[in-house]
Amino acid sequence: MKPLTRTDLEAYGRQNGEMKEWIRVQLDTGGIAAGAEEALAELTRVRDENRLTIPIQRVGSVGYSFADPVVEVKCPGLPRILYGQVSAEVAALIVRDHVMKKRFIDDHAMATRQRSLTIDQPVTQILVRDTGADTGSKTEFFQFAFVEELKRRGLAERVQVVRALDMGIYHEGVVVQLLPSGLTYSNVLAADVARIVTESVAERRVLDDLLFKMPNPQVRIVLRNCGEVDPDSLEDYLTMAKGYQGLRRALTGMTPEQVIAEMKTSGLRGRGGAGFPTWLKWQLTRAQKSDERYVICNGDEGDPGAFMDRSVLESDPHSVLEGMILAAFAMGSTRGYFYIRAEYPKAVERVERALVQAREAGLLGSNILGSGFSFDAKVRLGAGAFVCGEETALIASIEGKRGSPSPRPPYPSVKGLWGKPTAINNVETLANVSAIILHGGAWYAKNGTETSRGTKVFAVTGKVKNAQLVEVPMGTTLRQIVFDICGGVLDDKDLKAVQTGGPSGGVIPDKHLDTPVSYETLQQLGSIMGSGGMLVMDKTDSMVEVAKFYLRFCVDESCGKCAPCRIGGYQMLQILDRITRGRGTTADIGILRRICTAMQKASLCGLGQTAPNPVLSTLRYFEEEYKAYIEGGPSYARKTSGRGQVVETSKETAKAAVTP
Amino acid sequence: MNSAPPLPVEDRDPTSTELAKCDEASLLGLLDEIEHRHGFIPREVSDELERLILVRLERLKRIQGKLESTIQRDVQNHVATWREEEGNLIMILHAIQNQHGYVPREAAMALSRELGVTLARIYEVITFYHYFKLQPPGNHSVVVCNGTACYLKGSLELLNELRARLGISEGQTTADRHVHLDVVRCIGCCGMSPALVVDGKTHGRVKTSDIGGILDSIKKQEAKK
Repeated sequence: MKPLTRTDLEAYGRQNGEMKEWIRVQLDTGGIAAGAEEALAELTRVRDENRLTIPIQRVGSVGYSFADPVVEVKCPGLPRILYGQVSAEVAALIVRDHVMKKRFIDDHAMATRQRSLTIDQPVTQILVRDTGADTGSKTEFFQFAFVEELKRRGLAERVQVVRALDMGIYHEGVVVQLLPSGLTYSNVLAADVARIVTESVAERRVLDDLLFKMPNPQVRIVLRNCGEVDPDSLEDYLTMAKGYQGLRRALTGMTPEQVIAEMKTSGLRGRGGAGFPTWLKWQLTRAQKSDERYVICNGDEGDPGAFMDRSVLESDPHSVLEGMILAAFAMGSTRGYFYIRAEYPKAVERVERALVQAREAGLLGSNILGSGFSFDAKVRLGAGAFVCGEETALIASIEGKRGSPSPRPPYPSVKGLWGKPTAINNVETLANVSAIILHGGAWYAKNGTETSRGTKVFAVTGKVKNAQLVEVPMGTTLRQIVFDICGGVLDDKDLKAVQTGGPSGGVIPDKHLDTPVSYETLQQLGSIMGSGGMLVMDKTDSMVEVAKFYLRFCVDESCGKCAPCRIGGYQMLQILDRITRGRGTTADIGILRRICTAMQKASLCGLGQTAPNPVLSTLRYFEEEYKAYIEGGPSYARKTSGRGQVVETSKETAKAAVTP
Repeated sequence: MNSAPPLPVEDRDPTSTELAKCDEASLLGLLDEIEHRHGFIPREVSDELERLILVRLERLKRIQGKLESTIQRDVQNHVATWREEEGNLIMILHAIQNQHGYVPREAAMALSRELGVTLARIYEVITFYHYFKLQPPGNHSVVVCNGTACYLKGSLELLNELRARLGISEGQTTADRHVHLDVVRCIGCCGMSPALVVDGKTHGRVKTSDIGGILDSIKKQEAKK
């Protein structure tokens, strides 16, 4: 691509790149693992075989991990539709039935989340699914009933009835969605079928008693382009996603101070976990007198169970890069680094490609868009050390050293990379920045609560029915996230707790599920927001084992520099191990609490200070489980933890404890 | 060299060609016999052996020298790519590991010379990060994800199954060097948990019953070689 000028970029901003037809295959790591590449090959083969011209695009993931591999199709005269669990056979059907015959495919179509309350267009498809049971047992009966009713009214030619894979609504009986409008009925009974067909399908009248009115609780800001653009194409980002328009706005009409002010209005706080106001971080860095300042994107997503950052970097790298350039402009920095885990090869590859493309287009380099502002960025790889998510350790790692944290102050905003002022922002934070500068801080601040503005992406996994990425406004309750959006607990078991914040966070028991999510409320419950991993646990999961799992992680990952973390963690792990073998004593619980306090107070960095959190929060809410182990003895322990899950203390752990 | 040792004729010592064909174990046996026959080892035999050993040593040295100069050249290339960058050590180590599958000691030593950094500092970094390996990996790698989502969905059962079938535990390689078993924190495929990565390809929603098939396909690939 030739270097862009302001006028070029302005022209791109006016473009609406929406094409009239396409097939989009979602190729992120999760999708590829599920077989998205096989689906892509089959789609291409069958399309070419039939001499069709419909473009097949490679995009990132929309976040529906439970339905991977996901393919989205748009054809003239048909509503956009997502297909889940697309095997090679289904891929062939997508071309042969959907594209060529305009017929949807049973058991793979997914309902749209953008539910309408009116029927503004003639109904052409009816999606149906029984959401009361996992098996969708009554779905086929209802499909049959609708088809019969449509035949009787002579509408069968016009309207297709499709069994859906997922409605986005759970435990609401039989759910029916009328396409293309997206009007949705829930708790539909057999007797309602005739009414729906005569009134809604034939006469486009809304049946108020059946109408599912709850609006879609998700708001996609960070994930706005995920699944919409080809992550390997700058052209796509420019034409379809108003790409780099925020940057153009900042470089042509704003001073760095105004950018920071806009961020202040937005109220955006760091999405890496601690929640430090982003604007303040930038301002502090800017205020330092220095010949050079650095901006770093922290993509060292080490929390087990979290994959938001991977997904954003893989699906929409340019929006993160745009955020970084904006941050650099606001702070007067000329160099930046993406620090990404080596375990995410796809993310690394796509970010590197984005950097090359941006450099070619003149969006990186000297005198960007003729503004006199120069900036360039590079990728640095992590090497499998959790502590490198901590900012001082991350800086040491970029400098090519061991990732040992150092005491703060001085904070990186004063003395960071190579001793220069440095701002470290999380992937999600930077993806927000580009949207905020484009649409304005006030627009962003409309979502969320008083102290926690905007939206937050969560990776909901574990014992949950539909593991997926969820982006909701702050203030949404945990219950809404787990039950309304993700369908509740796997196999309809009872929920025991939700774990947030990874190894630095804590568990939240089911009685607190109605808590609105924000930095403060989660902290009050003894957990943290963290980067956004959300693990659902059912009644069969032992909380003591979970605490041990997280603690073992922190002990393995402790760098060993300071004693509270190195020794305290190891000792706690020994005690927990004893308890889970049924050999604990009642005194152990008191000792655990004391070591926790010592670690929190005396550890050097965030890893050691927060490592006791899983233990403390399980003690707070599930002390009776600890006691049951202690009182029940070895036989109880074998029964509870016995599912082959007890592993010997690893060699690494033992090594960490003796290495000074 | 591994051909069956030529059986010495009862009443004569082996010729130099026969000696040259022997491997170490059969040489020892031969020497015992010769000693038994004569009461000592004749000068001709010991001279011949010394010559043979020197020839073999020379050949080994040449191979090693070749290896070292290749490693040296590779390391020089990596360093040249990253020369201008500050804090390049980790990125160069990544390049070396990508090439060899681990960081060979010779490469670390060459790197120390090229960068003018002490070997101790290089090893300090290598051993700090889990990602860098000091042992050559097996021909195939099987990596079990033990992120929280995978853990809750039974990754340890997968690991136990693999341990039992391979007879090794994580971090080890089978004796035939075919399979290397490892555990990682999280590969970010939590929606597909529990997950395995086999030779860079991610397998999602793996059941213990799938393990046999996965290992069989590795065996088949090895057999084809």
